[in-house]
Amino acid sequence: MCGGRSGGQNRAIASLLRLLLSTVLVVALAACHRPAGPRPLVVGMELAYPPFEMTDAQGQPAGVSVDLARALGVALGRPVEIRNIAFDGLIPSLQAGKIDCILSSMTVTPERARAVAFSEPYLHTGLALLVAKDSPIASVADLDQAGRRVAVKNGTTGQLYARDHLTHAQILVFDSEAAAVLEVAQGKADAFAYDQMSVFKQAQRHAETTRALLQPFQQEAWAIALRQDDGALREQVNAFLRDYRAHGGFDALGERYLPEQKAAFAKRGIPFVF
Amino acid sequence: MTTAIEKRRSPWAWLRVDAEAPAWASAASWLLVLAAASLFFAATFFRLRYHWNWEAVWAYRAKFVIGWLTTVALSCAALILSGLIGAATALARRSPWRPLRQAAFLYVEAIRSTPLLVQILILFYIVGSALGIEDRYVAGVLILSLFGGAYIGEIVRAGIEGVGHSQLESARAIGLTPAQTYRHVIFPQALRQILPPLAGQFISLIKDSSLLSVIAVNELTQNAREVNAFTYSTLEAYLPLAAGYLLLTLPLSWISRRLERRYRYET
Repeated sequence: MCGGRSGGQNRAIASLLRLLLSTVLVVALAACHRPAGPRPLVVGMELAYPPFEMTDAQGQPAGVSVDLARALGVALGRPVEIRNIAFDGLIPSLQAGKIDCILSSMTVTPERARAVAFSEPYLHTGLALLVAKDSPIASVADLDQAGRRVAVKNGTTGQLYARDHLTHAQILVFDSEAAAVLEVAQGKADAFAYDQMSVFKQAQRHAETTRALLQPFQQEAWAIALRQDDGALREQVNAFLRDYRAHGGFDALGERYLPEQKAAFAKRGIPFVF
Repeated sequence: MTTAIEKRRSPWAWLRVDAEAPAWASAASWLLVLAAASLFFAATFFRLRYHWNWEAVWAYRAKFVIGWLTTVALSCAALILSGLIGAATALARRSPWRPLRQAAFLYVEAIRSTPLLVQILILFYIVGSALGIEDRYVAGVLILSLFGGAYIGEIVRAGIEGVGHSQLESARAIGLTPAQTYRHVIFPQALRQILPPLAGQFISLIKDSSLLSVIAVNELTQNAREVNAFTYSTLEAYLPLAAGYLLLTLPLSWISRRLERRYRYET
């Protein structure tokens, strides 16, 4: 064994330890650092659900929920910070304190209400079906049979409905709306259970291969999700929603983002969502 | 110099890989490493202030079992098929026929240069639909095998080409046919060389099977994601997921080390 090399190694280890220690210190200090001014309102949403949550051509968050979040920020006097999080990761993020609220077209369900607190609902919609153009399926009852394949998106109320009510069908779970639509368009799945507005939009986009069964088979309400111990913010959010509705904010959002849907719903005699 | 070191031998000397290390050194060192790792993770979990909710996940335990068995079945089928495809690719790349060589080259480069996710979507929704492969499990195994086969083909080719040229000439000199040369000269030596990277590739293949969830193959990751969506218990759903993959990959590592030892001999 050579003593010189051993001494060099000791020095190397010591400097490595110093480096490690200083890194830990820097990280710890950065974690403690808080910027001055009002604390930003961190809003979680999945930017994959146009026209509610999406990104514009510049890659910036845009859509109904983004406008609503910004209006909420103005009302609370806090800057708004939008975090793009996969839908099934939103509630865990809220619980872990990474975000202050979820504004991501989230339907109120008893299961979710056990994990988070919901504001008053701001939108009413229902589950609808996207089926193949020449499909014999006329209603959701036709799907609850052996050999039927129903596409759903992971974490959505469509998935929960299929799990509880379509027990005879094969359920295909997808991470993306686009994949589920593709399955229906290619005839690999018999139907895609999703919300009315998306089903309407997808049926328009894939008019040669699909059609929409818009009559809702389950009524749903969307609300802003908050932490259960955050009662103060919940009061503020509810007050904001009432005020926003009274001043025609929701009507303006509908006109701006969903004019076609609004007209189509009126034609079919189905009440509009806001 | 040497004597000076010997006089004040560090109390940590047993941590060095050393012929004179005491018998307990390896076990004690393992204990130290595992304790450090556990401490690190315990500290990170403690910082999270996470509210554990194992009951909710326990209610869905059947989904984990179904998902795990599906992953085992998919992986076994893909392991065998990708091995065959890999061996065929390696032979094709050494074939005297030019089109065969070029086809194998094209296949390997196309697969290795594109993400598996894209391959799954293209092969299932476009190629699979055109060929009439409607069953998503059959399609999944085929896609995974094609993906793994390209990498394994290169590993096998490297192993074959690692055998010295002089040995091939010697084999010919003693009158071995090409088949006999592969059987008695190339194969035993190549196998020893390719076992470690092959085991790594097989382990990757098992983990990559999780990507089949994008075409709604009901495997382990898909089920864990569903349980997470139902219960909002991310960690409780994903920790068993990690354990499920370890349960598959650790035995594979172990078998590979055993085989390596068996094929190791003096050269």
